[in-house]
Amino acid sequence: MAWILRRIGVSLILAWLVASIVFMTLHLVPGDPAELLLSTGGIMPDPGAVAELRDRLGLNDPLLVQYGGFLRGLTRGDLGNSLIDDYPVLAEVALRLPRTLELIFAGAILAIVVALPAGTYAALHRGGAFDRVASGLAALLLAVPVFVVGTLLILMLAQWLRVMPAGGYVPFADNPGRHLALLALPALTIAKGLAAVLFRMTRASVLDALSRDHVRTARAKGLTPRGVLVRHVVRNALIPVLTVLGLHMGTLLGGTVLVEYVFNWPGLSTPLLRAVEARDYPMVVGIVLTISGLFLLINLIMDLLYAALDPRIRAA
Amino acid sequence: MTTLPRRSLLLAGATLPLLRRPARAQSTPDTLRFGLSAWPPNLQPWASTGASAGTVKLLIHRSLVSYDSQGELRGELAESWSHEDDGAWVFRLRRNAVFHNGEPVTADDIKWTLEQIAGERSTAYMRAQFQRVERIETPDAHTLRLVTKEPVATLPHWFGGYNMAMVWRKSAPNEPVGAGPYRLTGQERGSSLELTAFDRFYKPGLPRLKRIRFVVYADENLRAAALQSGDVDMIEYVPWQSMAAVESDPALKLDAVDGPFMDVLFNGTRGPFADARVRRAVAHAIRREDIVKTAFFGRGSPLEGVPIPRGTPWYDEQLAHGWNYDPARAKALLAEAGHPDGFQTTLLATAQFGMHKDTAEVVQQHLAAIGIQCELRLPDWSTRVSLGTRGQYEIAIHGTTAENNDPDGLSSVLDTTLSPSHGRSFGVQAPRTAALLAQGRAEFDPQKRVATYKDMQRAALEEVPMVGLAWRSQGYGMKRNVQGFANLPGALTTLSGTQLETAAFA
Amino acid sequence: MKRLIVPGTLVGLILLAALAAPLLPLTDPIRQDIMHRLAGPLPGSPLGRDEFGRDVLSRLIWGARTSLGVAFASALIAGIFGTLLGLIGGWFRGLGELLAVRSMDVILCFPPVLLALLVVTLMGPGAGTLILVLSVLYLPGFVRVTYAEVLSARSHDYVEAVRALGAPAPRILLRTVLPNVAGPVLVQLSLAVASAVVLESGLSFLGLGVVPPAPSWGLMIRGARATMDQAPMLLFWPCAVLTLTILAMNLLCDALRDAVDPRTSGPRPRLRAVDRLLPGLLPRRDATPESVLDVQGLTVEIDTPRGPIRPVQEVSFNVRAGETVAIVGESGSGKSVSTTALMGLLPPVARVVNGEAWFGETELLRLPEPEMRKLRGGRMAMVFQDPMSSLNPVYRTGAQVAEAIQAHQRVSAEAAWKQAEGLFRRVGIADPERRMRAYPHEMSGGMRQRVMIAMALANRPHLLICDEPTTALDVTVQAQILDLLAELQRETGTAIVFITHSLGVVAEIAQRVVVMYAGQVVEQGSVAEVFHDPLHPYTRALLAAVPEGETQPSGIPGVVPPPHAFPEGCRFAPRCAHAIPACSAAPLALDMAAPGRAVRCIRWTELAHPKEEVPA
Repeated sequence: MAWILRRIGVSLILAWLVASIVFMTLHLVPGDPAELLLSTGGIMPDPGAVAELRDRLGLNDPLLVQYGGFLRGLTRGDLGNSLIDDYPVLAEVALRLPRTLELIFAGAILAIVVALPAGTYAALHRGGAFDRVASGLAALLLAVPVFVVGTLLILMLAQWLRVMPAGGYVPFADNPGRHLALLALPALTIAKGLAAVLFRMTRASVLDALSRDHVRTARAKGLTPRGVLVRHVVRNALIPVLTVLGLHMGTLLGGTVLVEYVFNWPGLSTPLLRAVEARDYPMVVGIVLTISGLFLLINLIMDLLYAALDPRIRAA
Repeated sequence: MTTLPRRSLLLAGATLPLLRRPARAQSTPDTLRFGLSAWPPNLQPWASTGASAGTVKLLIHRSLVSYDSQGELRGELAESWSHEDDGAWVFRLRRNAVFHNGEPVTADDIKWTLEQIAGERSTAYMRAQFQRVERIETPDAHTLRLVTKEPVATLPHWFGGYNMAMVWRKSAPNEPVGAGPYRLTGQERGSSLELTAFDRFYKPGLPRLKRIRFVVYADENLRAAALQSGDVDMIEYVPWQSMAAVESDPALKLDAVDGPFMDVLFNGTRGPFADARVRRAVAHAIRREDIVKTAFFGRGSPLEGVPIPRGTPWYDEQLAHGWNYDPARAKALLAEAGHPDGFQTTLLATAQFGMHKDTAEVVQQHLAAIGIQCELRLPDWSTRVSLGTRGQYEIAIHGTTAENNDPDGLSSVLDTTLSPSHGRSFGVQAPRTAALLAQGRAEFDPQKRVATYKDMQRAALEEVPMVGLAWRSQGYGMKRNVQGFANLPGALTTLSGTQLETAAFA
Repeated sequence: MKRLIVPGTLVGLILLAALAAPLLPLTDPIRQDIMHRLAGPLPGSPLGRDEFGRDVLSRLIWGARTSLGVAFASALIAGIFGTLLGLIGGWFRGLGELLAVRSMDVILCFPPVLLALLVVTLMGPGAGTLILVLSVLYLPGFVRVTYAEVLSARSHDYVEAVRALGAPAPRILLRTVLPNVAGPVLVQLSLAVASAVVLESGLSFLGLGVVPPAPSWGLMIRGARATMDQAPMLLFWPCAVLTLTILAMNLLCDALRDAVDPRTSGPRPRLRAVDRLLPGLLPRRDATPESVLDVQGLTVEIDTPRGPIRPVQEVSFNVRAGETVAIVGESGSGKSVSTTALMGLLPPVARVVNGEAWFGETELLRLPEPEMRKLRGGRMAMVFQDPMSSLNPVYRTGAQVAEAIQAHQRVSAEAAWKQAEGLFRRVGIADPERRMRAYPHEMSGGMRQRVMIAMALANRPHLLICDEPTTALDVTVQAQILDLLAELQRETGTAIVFITHSLGVVAEIAQRVVVMYAGQVVEQGSVAEVFHDPLHPYTRALLAAVPEGETQPSGIPGVVPPPHAFPEGCRFAPRCAHAIPACSAAPLALDMAAPGRAVRCIRWTELAHPKEEVPA
C-alpha cells in the first residue's frame, strides 16, 4: 500500500509542476487576451476598452499575485473562469471530457477487437500469408498520418459517397443513431493508429510468450494447443499489451487534437487549441491540468492492473 | 479533371439508399440549420467578439437602425431620424417595440444603453465614438436627442453595427434583455445554439422561421461539406475553393459579394518604410491578380487603390487604379528613395489563417522581384495582433472590413493618427489623409462629401497609409429553396444576419 | 541482416535525393507561376504544379530535405543529451538520478501536441523551434533507454571489476558502458527520426511548423487540402511520399531492433512439411522386452542461415523399467536436444531427420501430434532445468499441477485440486494447502522444483525425463531433490532419463551412463564400469578434471565446437591429448567394447589404463 501512496504523492507533485510550468510560460507568450478578444475577426478595438477589459480580468496584477490566486483556487478545487466568457473552467472540462473519453474508448474498443485476435493469429502463424499481409498493413497504417486518413475519409465517405455525415456532434440523448453515425469516422481514425500499435505489440508479445519455458512445460503436460494458447500464451502475452494500451490511451487524451479538429468533434482538445490561440490562461491551465492529471491517473491504474495481472509485481 | 470520378462515385452512392438515409439529418420546414464559422466567444451586447457572434447578436438584439438588402439604412427601434439645425441628431422610436420580457422599448432604455457603452468602465466596441456624444436627451418616452461635441454626418451609421444592441435598462449584469426577433433558447456549448422566434417582435409576420439552429463548423472544408451533404441548410463564409462546387450543385445556391479586403501595413517609425516612396514602390510592385487567384481562388477582385467599393458615389475609376502593377515604376521609386539594389526586411502575417499566409507568400514573391527580400514571419494570430499593436514589425499583411460603405467607415484603416492597432499601419505619417477624413466626417452636404473623399483618395495614394491588395468575396451558401435572405453589399456583408428574419423555405 | 536491405535502401535513396536536391536539375521550389496554378503534368513538371504554380516534384524533393533535416537534427540532439542524462542518472543515482531521469516524467505528462503548441507560440514557428520541440519530446525516450542499460551494465562483472580497479567514472562510462548502450540508443534514434517525420508533418499541417514558402511535406498537405476537390493529386503526392518514407523508416527500425536484440533474431522458421512417415511403414524392430525406451540412431537437424546443422547425430540408448540412465556431457553436447526431440517438443526450426524411438509399442518420433500429446505428461513426463522460468508466473502452483491432472484425466476441478494436494504432500511439500495457493515467485528454488516433479508425476508416468533438474539449485537442496527422485522411483518403478553435466550426480542416482560429446554418444555402460574404467579419453578427462562435478571441466583445454564446425573425424580430436592424424581421417563408429559397453574412439584399446582412481 505504501508504494501506492508514494505513487499518488509523486503524481500530485508532477501535476502541480505541469500546471505551474504551463501557467508561467503562458504568461510569457506574447499576446494579450483582452486585446485579442476585442480584435476577433480582424476588428480594431478601442484601446480604452482593451485597457478596461485587462483590468477587469485581473491581468494587470503582478504575475505572482495571479499565480497565488490560481493556487488558492486550486486548493479549493476551483480552476477559475474563462477570460473569454467567464464560464467556469471546471464546467467546461466536465462538459468536454466525456466526449473525448467516448471518442478514445470507442477507438480503443475498435482497435482491441481487431488487433488482439489478428496479432495473436499472426504470431502463431509467423511468416505465413496472414502474418505478412497484416504486418504490412499495420506498418502502412502506422505510417499514414492521422490528418491524412481523416481528410480522405471525409472526402470519400461524406463528400463523394455521402453515406456518412461530414462531422459534428449530437448528444446521444437527442438522437442516438445520429450520435453513433457521427462518432464512427473519428473513432475509426483513432482506432487506426492504435490498432496498428496493438497488433504489433500483441504479435511480439505472443511470440515472446511462445518462446518461454513455461509454455514448453505446458506442452509437456500434454495440454491441447488451445489450452496452451489460451492459458499460457495469451494470458501472459496480454500483460504487456495492456500496459501499452493504457499508455497509449493516456497519450491520446491530449493527442486527439487533429482528429477532433478534422471531424469537428467538440471534445477537450478543441477548446484547448482555441484557448491557446485566444490566450485564455485559466482555460489552458485547467485543461492541461486535467489531461496531465488523467494521464497520471491512467498510469497509476495501469500499474495497479499490472500488479493484479502479474503476481510477481505485487510482491515487489 | 475530377468531375468524372466524382460523378461515378455519386452514382454509386445513389445505389445505396439504405445507407444514405440514416446519415442525413432530417430537415424540417420551420427550422433553419445554419453553419457558423466559429463558436461565438460570448454574446455580450456591446463588446465586439467577431462576425459569427455578430450574426447571432443581430437576431437576439436590435439597434435603432439596420441596413436593407440594398445597403441603405432603415429604421428598426427608431422609426425615423434627422439632423436638427442645432446640431443634434434626433431619433423617433417606434411605439410597438417590446423587449423579450414584454417591457416596452423606451428612450430611457436607449439612453441607459448608450451610457453603458460610453461609460468609464466600458469595454464596448463603439465606446470612443459615443464618448464624443456630449448629451443624451429624452424629451419624451419615444424621442432621443444626441448632441455631439463636433458635428458628425455619419452618426446614424454608428447604430448599424452588431455591437450596438439596445438593452432593457433594468437587465441583470450578465443577462441582457434584447428586443430582437429571436430568443436564445438552448445551447450545446461549443457546438450549437438554438434560437426560437419571439412572438411579440415588432415587425408583423416576422420572423418567418420558427427556429434557427446554429451549428459551429470551425473547419472551412467541413463547413462546406456539411452544406453539400445536407447536414445544414445554410452556411456563412463559404470557403473560396468550394464556391464553384456550391454554385454548380443543383440543390444549392451561393450569394457572394466583394466586401472585406486584404492590405499591406507598414511600420513608419523606422527603416526604409518611413519613406512614402518606398511604400509606394511596394504598392506598384504587387500583381493583385495573383493574390486573387491563389488566396481566393479567383473569388474576389484586385484592389489597386483605396478600398472604396465600385458603384458608390465616391468611387473613381482612375483613382481606384492609382497603385497599378508597374514593377518598373516600383524600382524607379526605390532608387529614388536611395535603395537602387533593394534591401532585406521581414514580412509579418499569420499562419493561422490561410488567406493571410497565401497573400503573404505572393507579396513576398513580388517584392523580391523589385529587390525587397522579405523573410516571412508567421506566428499565431494572437502574437500577430500583439506584434502589430506594438509596432514590432516592418511590413505586415492584414485583412479587414470597413465599418460600413461610407468612406468614413475606412477611417479605422486609413487614419494613422488613431491609437496603434494591429489593423493600422504603425506610426506612418499621412496627415493629409487624416485631415480629409475628418473633414468628410463633419460635412453634411452629399456633393461636397464626394469631392472631399476623392481628395482624400488622392492624398492616400501619395502618402500610402496602407496598400490595398484585393477584395475578397464573402459568400453565404444555402439550399436553393431558402428564400428571403440577401447578402448585404460591400462592407455590410458581415451584418447580413438581420436578413435571417425574413428567410424561409420556399 | 537481410531484412535491413530493402528498407535500408529505400531510406538511403530518400536521404540521397534529399541531400542531392541542390545538384538535381530541378526548378526553383519557391518560384511561383500563378498562370499555371494547379496545372497537371507539364514539360519540366512531371507531377504538375501547386496552388502557387510551383513545381510539385521539386517541392517534394526539397521538402524531403526540410522534413528529414528537422527530423534528424532533433533526433540527434535528443539522442546526445538524452544519452548523457541517462548515463549521469544511471551512474550516479541519488540526486543525479532525480534531476536527470525523474525530471523527464514532467515532459511525459504533457500531451506532445500541447507541448509543441506552447513552445511554438512562445518562440514563433520555424525550423529552429521545431527542432527544439521535437528534441525535447524525444529526450525522455533516450534518457530511459540509456538509464536502463547503464543500470544493467553496472551489475555486470566486468564493469564492477573495472570500477574496483579504481578507474574514474567518466572513463568507465565511455569505454565500458557506452558501447553497450550503443545498440538500444541506435534503435531509439531510428524510432525518433521516424516519429519526428510524422510530428513535423503534423505540426506543419497545423501551421505550427516550417515557415512557408520553404517546402515541407506537412505544409504541402495543408496547402493541398484546400484544393483537394479541384486537384486531388496535389494531396496525393505528399501523402504518398510521407507515408512511404515513414513506412521505410519503421521497417528499418524493426529490422534494426531485431539485429540489436538477440532475443528476436535468429532464423525464420521454415514451415516445410516435415517427412512424417507413418509408424506402420517402418520395419517392426524387435524391441528389447524389458526396455521402457529404446532410442536408435536419433538425428536432429536445424536450419540456420549458414545451412543445416546436426546438433544430435546417431544417438542410441535404452532405458529399462525401474532404471535410471544418466546422460552426461558439457553444454552443447546435444543432451537436451535429444530428450526434447523424444518429448516431441522441438522448436519449429528443428526436426528429426533420422532414427527411431520406441516407447513400449509406440514409435515416438513419427507419432502424430494428438497421439503424442496424450503421452506427454501422461505416460511420459519431463522435469526441466529452471523451475522458475518453467512455471507460469501468473498462476498459482496448485492450479498448474491440477491442470496437468485435468489434461489427462476426466475429473472435476475439485477432484484435481485434491489429487494435486496429495502430490504436493508426496513430493515433500509441507503445508500443501497453503503452498498450492502460492505463486511460483513466492517459493524457494527447491520448492519450485518439487512442484515441477509433482506436476510430472501427476499421471503416474512410466518414463520420467529429468533435464538437469538440480543445476539451478544449491548443493543441499540438490541432494534433497535427488533423494526424492530416488525414493519416488523405488515406490513407482518409473524409468528415469537423467540429464546432467555433473558426474557426482551421476554416481549418486544412475545405474547406467551415456556420455555425449558434440552431438554424439562417445561412451556408455554401467556407472560402475564407466567410472572405474573409462574407455574414452573424454570420459577420462571429465573424471579427472572434476572431482566434485560442480563446475565445467576446466581441465580440458578448449570448448565443445559449435554444430556447424564439428570436425570431420573424431569430434574430440582437437582437444584430445592422445589424438593422432588417423583420428581426424573419417567419421568414427561406436564400438561395442563389451556387452552393454560402447565407445567411440579408434585408440581405446591401446589407451586403456584401468588404473585410475574413481571419484566417489
